[in-house]
Amino acid sequence: MISIKFIINGEKKELDIPAGITALELIRDRLALKGTKEGCGIGECGACTIVVDGRAVNACLMLAAQLDGREILTVEGLAQSGDLHPIQEAFAEKHAVQCGFCSPGLLMSTTALLAENPHPNRSEIVKAISGNLCRCTGYHSIMEAVKAAVEKQAAFKKD
Amino acid sequence: MFDVDYIKATNLEDALDFLNTNGAETKILAGGTDILVDMRSGALKPRFLLDVSRLDDLKKIEIQDGQLCIGAAVTISELLESDTIAAMAPALRKAAEKFASRQIRNVATIGGNVAHCSPCGDTIPPLLIHDASAVVLTSAGRRHVTIEEMASGPYHCSLHSDEIISHFVLQPRPREVTFVDFQKIGRRQELAIARMSMAAMACQDERGSIAYMRFALGSCTPTPHRFREVEEYMTGKVPAEHIIWEAGRLVADKMLSITGRRPSAVYKEPAIQGLFVRMMRPLVANK
Repeated sequence: MISIKFIINGEKKELDIPAGITALELIRDRLALKGTKEGCGIGECGACTIVVDGRAVNACLMLAAQLDGREILTVEGLAQSGDLHPIQEAFAEKHAVQCGFCSPGLLMSTTALLAENPHPNRSEIVKAISGNLCRCTGYHSIMEAVKAAVEKQAAFKKD
Repeated sequence: MFDVDYIKATNLEDALDFLNTNGAETKILAGGTDILVDMRSGALKPRFLLDVSRLDDLKKIEIQDGQLCIGAAVTISELLESDTIAAMAPALRKAAEKFASRQIRNVATIGGNVAHCSPCGDTIPPLLIHDASAVVLTSAGRRHVTIEEMASGPYHCSLHSDEIISHFVLQPRPREVTFVDFQKIGRRQELAIARMSMAAMACQDERGSIAYMRFALGSCTPTPHRFREVEEYMTGKVPAEHIIWEAGRLVADKMLSITGRRPSAVYKEPAIQGLFVRMMRPLVANK
């Protein structure tokens, strides 16, 4: 067992965990945050994408122990006091969700992208979300949703 | 859950001491993007994982005595964001752009990419054209290992179990170099494991003939190499269509001389030649 401290979705945690669990196992099984999905388990599909210290990473390829001292955001941390995050609104409005399995990962990749680059162009968006696979192949709607999220975020900042 | 112990190194000295005692049962963990895949498949069962990803000593990008030093724990994203890399090793930057996905670039490290010794490591051809070597430490001392010596075969690293790569030393791009490129072919555009990859740097004199050239091929041979015959063939010539096609044929011939004619050669032989021609075409004078 090892002790780790971290912040997840704004909440401080201090836990004793087995050394051999992945960040994904910690998030899903120990913290019961089931929004983060396991798809391929080998870093190809992006369903497990979380944001660690502002950067999108695959939770399946990271040990929970590596989260010590980090700040983590999962899909559960996007909505604030019951209101959807503008990126979530954009995904809902553009029907960028079919079966929904890839959606949390895509939302987190988009969150990290917009934090780094608030005005990405089309090719920057494609590049940023190419590590997220949608098996329903709803990429057109997903692209539209990310573009709408860019506009919503810009409008939100002006207000 | 993996049956493994995790040790977070807080300084380099302690990390080296730990390896001195436990090296044979330890895997060094940086980004973990290859190690966790291999542990999941059962191919890798270390007793200890020694996490070196937060050692500041391994995270620097700096110029020392005119040479470019890149820390082993520098991530692929950090390579992409570095102005020094863009100026001094632009082919490495291009390779970083095409490396896996954003999620993987954010944690995968250059040291891990090299030490994993995959024939298709994207950072390896660019390191080869910069005559790079790794500075390797033990608790007793240090030595230099060239990139070509690093892999003793596919996925077989020649380093000893008590050694850590501290950084890579590259010859910066010569000032005169005007042409730099990295190309790869995979099964899809993003997140693809390279089926073939190549890096080149060149400069032309005032008459247009090649005064300097570096070329390395990745993915197609058990370990990546600089192809010096191709560099020599191109040097002193003014690039024309027939010259770059001929040089592309030399690349394919040399690859086949190393691997033998495997079933994939039917595809690889023309594809390598074609990729080389496409990469070098900007050097052909517009007449």
